[in-house]
Amino acid sequence: MPTEPGKPTLEELSAFVDNELDPAEQARVAEHVAGCQECQARLDGLRQTAHAVRALPMETPPRRFTIPAQRRQAWRWAPVGWIGSAAVALLLIAVGIQHLPLPAGPAATSSSSGTISGGLGQGPTTLSHKAAAPVAAPAISSNDQLFNGQAATASASVATAVDPANRHRMIVGTDRASYSITAQMRVTIELQGSPSTSTNSGDQGLTLTLVRNGTGVALDPVGAISNNGTPVFGGTYDLGGLGLPGTGDYRLEATWMIPDGSGRVLQASIPVALN
Amino acid sequence: MFPSKSLNDDRDLVDRARRGDREAFTQLIVQYQVPLYNMALRMVGRPDDAADIAQEAFLRAWEKIRTLREAPFKSWLFQIAANLCYDHFRRGRRYGVMPDEETHNVIGLGIATPDPQERAEANERHRLVRESIQALEHDMRIAIVLRDVNGMAYEEIASVLRVPLGTVKSRIARARAQVQERLQQHPELFPSREDAHAD
Repeated sequence: MPTEPGKPTLEELSAFVDNELDPAEQARVAEHVAGCQECQARLDGLRQTAHAVRALPMETPPRRFTIPAQRRQAWRWAPVGWIGSAAVALLLIAVGIQHLPLPAGPAATSSSSGTISGGLGQGPTTLSHKAAAPVAAPAISSNDQLFNGQAATASASVATAVDPANRHRMIVGTDRASYSITAQMRVTIELQGSPSTSTNSGDQGLTLTLVRNGTGVALDPVGAISNNGTPVFGGTYDLGGLGLPGTGDYRLEATWMIPDGSGRVLQASIPVALN
Repeated sequence: MFPSKSLNDDRDLVDRARRGDREAFTQLIVQYQVPLYNMALRMVGRPDDAADIAQEAFLRAWEKIRTLREAPFKSWLFQIAANLCYDHFRRGRRYGVMPDEETHNVIGLGIATPDPQERAEANERHRLVRESIQALEHDMRIAIVLRDVNGMAYEEIASVLRVPLGTVKSRIARARAQVQERLQQHPELFPSREDAHAD
């Protein structure tokens, strides 16, 4: 939408927001905007809009994505819901059953070889968030000893996920390996190497769920910054108030979509026995 | 803010997947499941439909990965998902319908928030932004989603959508202008302010 000569177009202003103009254009637009209130206002509006869209929380998929044991012979359109169900069924047949029951020790993983831990399609569990229920707020403060930046490694159960480049590490810990179904569970998640210092779990791309046999409860990890600058999340969760289906072997699963735009995700989980 | 180029880290996994290594492909799923699902979600609106599209995209990618040559896996995967979104629209599947429930998979459920008032306002802002995106014509919607939800560079978006760079630039700009126009109808939640410059 060209206006008067010299005035940047809408496209140029928008691309300027994204730093997608070539250096000469970027400089020209910057120089013009500095002296033009109208263009400054238009630029502000575009920036605000981009920020508003970027502020949408990244949501966790409602189920796991899998691939069948064998490639389909020929693709044809079918209801995607059917395909998804079929894929899940095939996966369960292929790799799911042998993973039952859940292992007794911390199963989620440290990956010194550089692979991202976790892995969809390797276990039978599919999340259902219908069981999510409100619980008491976590009794956490920034002075809590959980947030000293080394808390997870001192926990009773710990799982670590490392990215291939060893630049990011997620350490998940609980204060015990087993709990009474009415007890409180303390959880700590360290996001080492995070490019963000935000204490908002959404900004960090962090999700935390307690799952068993296909159902799960999403937990809200409260954030703080440790003394060494590492974002640490977690809280004390009232297990009795989560609406869990009963005692048994659960798994605490943490997923961290590293907020650097790369799309990389670290996953770690640890078994939690509820008696 | 959003370094968006697909890294060469995928190359080894893709090479292995092309040779039929399911574990390697599963790792690619782990890497891309969240951004791909969120792209589909912002396009089609309904979590179940978005999950179906993401699942089908991974299935097709797995089946066709042997045909992938030099193109980056990420762009190729998103191109598959984008095509599925357009298929979804062409078949009239719940086009433009918003999810009935409030972002039920967003982390944060199941526990009280430190500031309920602030959280409520944030939720309302998010709802309005989602509605504004949903109101966009498809070509503009996918451009702004790939840019501002997925953080892709213009060149990468052009590769995904197979359109010229200038088209990407134009679509993103027009999409932002239209979203802005709708959001400005709610100045109590989207006030004009100078401190929005956080890039």
